[in-house]
Amino acid sequence: MKSIKLIDIASARSGDKNNICNIGVMANSTENYKLLKTHLTAEKVKLHFGGLIKGKVVRHEWDVLESLNFVCHEALDGGASRSLRIDTLGKNFSSHLLRMELLV
Amino acid sequence: MKKKVVRIAGTQGFYGDSPMGAIMVAMHGAADYLMHDALAELTLSILQKDKLKDPSLGYARDIEFHASKLYPIALSNGIKIVTDSGGLNPHSAAKKVKAILAKQGIENVKIAAIDGDDMMDKLSEFKALDNPLVNMDNGELYSESQYTPTHANVYIGAQSIKDALKKGANIILAGRVADPCLALGILAYEYNWDLTGPTQEDLNKMANGIMVGHILECGGQASGGNAYSEWLNRDYKFSNLGYPIAHVEEDGSAIITKLDNQNGKVSRNTIREQLVYEIHDPNAYITPDVIVDFTKISVTEISENKVLVNGAIGKERPEMLKLCIGQMEGYMTEQLFYFSYPYAYEKALAFVNAAKETWASLPFEYEDLRINFLGINGIHEDVAPDIPKEILDNMNEIGIRIAFRHKKAHTGKLLLQSVVCLGLNGPPGMNASMNWGKAGSIRLGLFPTLIPREYVDPQVTIY
Repeated sequence: MKSIKLIDIASARSGDKNNICNIGVMANSTENYKLLKTHLTAEKVKLHFGGLIKGKVVRHEWDVLESLNFVCHEALDGGASRSLRIDTLGKNFSSHLLRMELLV
Repeated sequence: MKKKVVRIAGTQGFYGDSPMGAIMVAMHGAADYLMHDALAELTLSILQKDKLKDPSLGYARDIEFHASKLYPIALSNGIKIVTDSGGLNPHSAAKKVKAILAKQGIENVKIAAIDGDDMMDKLSEFKALDNPLVNMDNGELYSESQYTPTHANVYIGAQSIKDALKKGANIILAGRVADPCLALGILAYEYNWDLTGPTQEDLNKMANGIMVGHILECGGQASGGNAYSEWLNRDYKFSNLGYPIAHVEEDGSAIITKLDNQNGKVSRNTIREQLVYEIHDPNAYITPDVIVDFTKISVTEISENKVLVNGAIGKERPEMLKLCIGQMEGYMTEQLFYFSYPYAYEKALAFVNAAKETWASLPFEYEDLRINFLGINGIHEDVAPDIPKEILDNMNEIGIRIAFRHKKAHTGKLLLQSVVCLGLNGPPGMNASMNWGKAGSIRLGLFPTLIPREYVDPQVTIY
């Protein structure tokens, strides 16, 4: 087992649809996409965001882009127009996810 | 014979975007169309606040500057403008643009207003439907909502854009056309695509058109902006960023590029980042005209700043259309305070304690209170990792952000006024630029739901 920082093997972009935040995670190589597919589960993402994501996290695989897409429900404090957060649109969910370390 | 190519530039990604990219494309005649997406979900709430103050507003107001500086250049180069900047008031937007152009002596121009997305008048009818309106996010019934609706706009498709272009429009100011359908409408007009999608081939062309629209809809986000994938190896500047331009063929396949003399980058990475943006299931991206399967697409870098995209697969359009209902929920207030070295963190904690005790002793009611320490847990709140004590004890400065949700408009100002005294009464050295303007700003909730498409009949009016 070794620990890999997500920032070293992937990039990410996140955005909002009302109270749902999606985080697209793009592997920087085919090999690293395999790692992500095996180890970056919806459960780990949900755990990493603690109380910020109140609902479920659904993972979609996007092989041709070597990317995973995490759809996080009840994640934006009610949605941008009513959120008390600084990151009203969830644009920095990508940043927080890239901070994760994976044991592989 | 050279193949026909339609050039669409995505030169506005949000209400408030810089006009410089658009002006550059227009000056160089580098596109046939400027596609301007001004409407995010949040934008409709912002526009509604404008409209509540002045019924002639409710459109994205950067069209006023565009009409005075950008559209004249674009029109003189034969470039058409297709935008959803009409927002909640496309007719008013069209009249405003017409007037600003007329002032400059530009009369021979057809401006289309597209409406039919406004469902405010039908809400009571929807409440009485056998199939009640259900909140897509949380399953709540609209009939049980306690809030007053402020606006209700359904996402409409590309047909009205195609119709407006057929009528000879040079500038199209639409309401809530779904973002990527702006591009689809342009392509459907240019290549005479049948938007009912009678064959799989038609559906696939439309799906590619949606892919083009999705890549273009956020402007600079497709050409090097906001891109972690290029951050480490970035070899370009962020200033004067070139916006993405799609060169689209009849089958909907497109080369995405940008102007050579502007900064930024179009790479497989930047396109990939934009493709994943605000998408849920890549196997079923739902738009009013077609449901798109992006899982078999190809994204190929063919040369520097040129990326070929194609291979989207279309499925029959949905029977239901998405309706976003704005609801007046109350108000919000936000304010920043600062302390500096020495004891910055300790002083900030003491300030927060004193403020909380003050609020607890007063009869002001609020629903929620959020306190962030900027530089520590401002953005990621409770999941931000702890900072070691020796660093906290030696911080140069700390910002404190306080935010409330409250029911009555004036409560926010009272809450802030009650703790400003801590400048003299509190820990040493409190700083605050009091931001009274943000005390008691309107808080709207969104109720996203689905309605049958037969209720929706978009209309084109030429001014």
